[in-house]
Amino acid sequence: MDAADALFGAFALPFMARALVVLLVLAVVAGFVGVLVNLRGLEFISDGLTHAVFPGLAIGFALGGFGGLIPGAAVAALIAALLLTMLARAGVASDSAIAIVLTATFSVGVIVVSRGNDYAGELEALLFGRLLTITPEEVVPIVAVALVALVTVAVTLKQQLFRAFDPVGSRAAGAPDLGLDLALNAAIALVVVAASTAIGSLLVLALLIVPGATARLLSNRLFALFPIAIGFAALCAWLGLASGFALSVGAGIDVPGGATVAGVFVAAYVLVLLGFLLVRRLRPADAAARRVTAAGAERAASVTSSTGVGTAG
Amino acid sequence: MTRDPADGAVLELHEAAFSHPGGGGVSGIELRVAAGESVALIGPNGAGKSTLLQGILGLVPMTAGSLRIDGVANARDRGRAVGYLPQQAALDPEFPITLDQVVMQGRYRRLGWLRWPGRADRRAVADALSAVGLAHRGGARFGDLSGGQRQRGLLARALASEPRVLLLDEPFNGLDQPNRDALLETVRELKGRGVALLISTHDLELAREVCDTVVLLNGVQLSAGPVDQVLTLGNVQECFSDQGVEFDEHTLVVPGHEGH
Repeated sequence: MDAADALFGAFALPFMARALVVLLVLAVVAGFVGVLVNLRGLEFISDGLTHAVFPGLAIGFALGGFGGLIPGAAVAALIAALLLTMLARAGVASDSAIAIVLTATFSVGVIVVSRGNDYAGELEALLFGRLLTITPEEVVPIVAVALVALVTVAVTLKQQLFRAFDPVGSRAAGAPDLGLDLALNAAIALVVVAASTAIGSLLVLALLIVPGATARLLSNRLFALFPIAIGFAALCAWLGLASGFALSVGAGIDVPGGATVAGVFVAAYVLVLLGFLLVRRLRPADAAARRVTAAGAERAASVTSSTGVGTAG
Repeated sequence: MTRDPADGAVLELHEAAFSHPGGGGVSGIELRVAAGESVALIGPNGAGKSTLLQGILGLVPMTAGSLRIDGVANARDRGRAVGYLPQQAALDPEFPITLDQVVMQGRYRRLGWLRWPGRADRRAVADALSAVGLAHRGGARFGDLSGGQRQRGLLARALASEPRVLLLDEPFNGLDQPNRDALLETVRELKGRGVALLISTHDLELAREVCDTVVLLNGVQLSAGPVDQVLTLGNVQECFSDQGVEFDEHTLVVPGHEGH
């Protein structure tokens, strides 16, 4: 099998095509929401939500099989989003609040799953997803949940960015901070729900956090972050699926699809990070010039010209 | 936006008190600010100057009295009429945002949830940046600006909302002379345009220079009136009696504080 087979040919198979469609939808939504997660510094809350969704998945599965996963997870996610928002707002030390919610909900989920017949198999499917065995009937609910998350954030985007930059100024201008936090946390929770069937409630964190973090390394322009994060996520999803296929079918090394995709996300981030550090190292004059601009553009201009360095990129 | 032209008070507080849920507040506030008038709010650290300003914005609960903006009592939607420049906002200098985008935030209240900025909004942003003398810096990253420029940028954001009342919380703290002069010039221009200004400050010189009226505050309102009548050595001494400050009729030096 050559590279073209893995990158293109593989997706002629219906289960591979379905996995790609689901992952691309998730890439768009998780990339978009992930930029806000990064700007707001909500990585740990997101982690809490991924764990809180787990008992919803478990209960939904116990009640309704695979068809019960999304409704169960959606209910759990929205309750968790509400709880975490209120706890953070009540001034409960945020990290401990999240850690408590996280472990409590997770243990509930494990207990529910342990009552089933196939403990190990079910646990694995819920935690790490069933990327390659998603049924056609499951695609529509996933896309619907992802769209709700996308719309929730898109409608509040201006105010979310204002709040991320300057929470006091945003409140002073009359923006409803509680409403904005609820909307964002609910959107994060719904991304977790949408992704839980495909790559599982644990690995979804890679989808949610890595693209936003990568975009921050690649650009300083606010509205460029969103297309960069989405493009990065889509590219990694495609490469992740293709490499999983190449390893499993081509090389005979059976790797789980969801974990391979998450691994590609992280590997790509590391590559971008190394590139970023390298570029910064090779162009120290840029960094120096940028620091100097803090003292005024006029002085920056004189400094760069006196050191014989061109204008900063 | 109807108001009695004979009255003319844009901001009016009567026996108002504001207090934080956790404690600390101000009371006995009697204040009228007319269009084009600027009022200095003077008092020691912890006197409740910021609490009063945040109370007017609706960020700190009002526990007594009444507040009218443009004749409307206790309006819930104050964000549109009231602009605010917080005291040394702790903003992340690494946040990827340009000065233009920061100033545009001042338009969001007008735009509501779904509309995105259009030509009129970009015009307003450009005008606000010109008013604070940063017309050429709009494309710069906010974090790359100097402290004084950031302060002026945030003032431009407040201006872009086209407020009827502008609340400035210690706007001159830590500013160097050029930035201070630029800010004074902007304040004068705003007065000329009919904006009502309420400025908290330690700087008596500044109060004399650009303010018509002064309010002395230390937990409660001590005295208020025209600058020349209220800003006497005796009144100021009384206001700052519990602080180890040195002052004469013109200047005030607060230890450990960047005052003038």
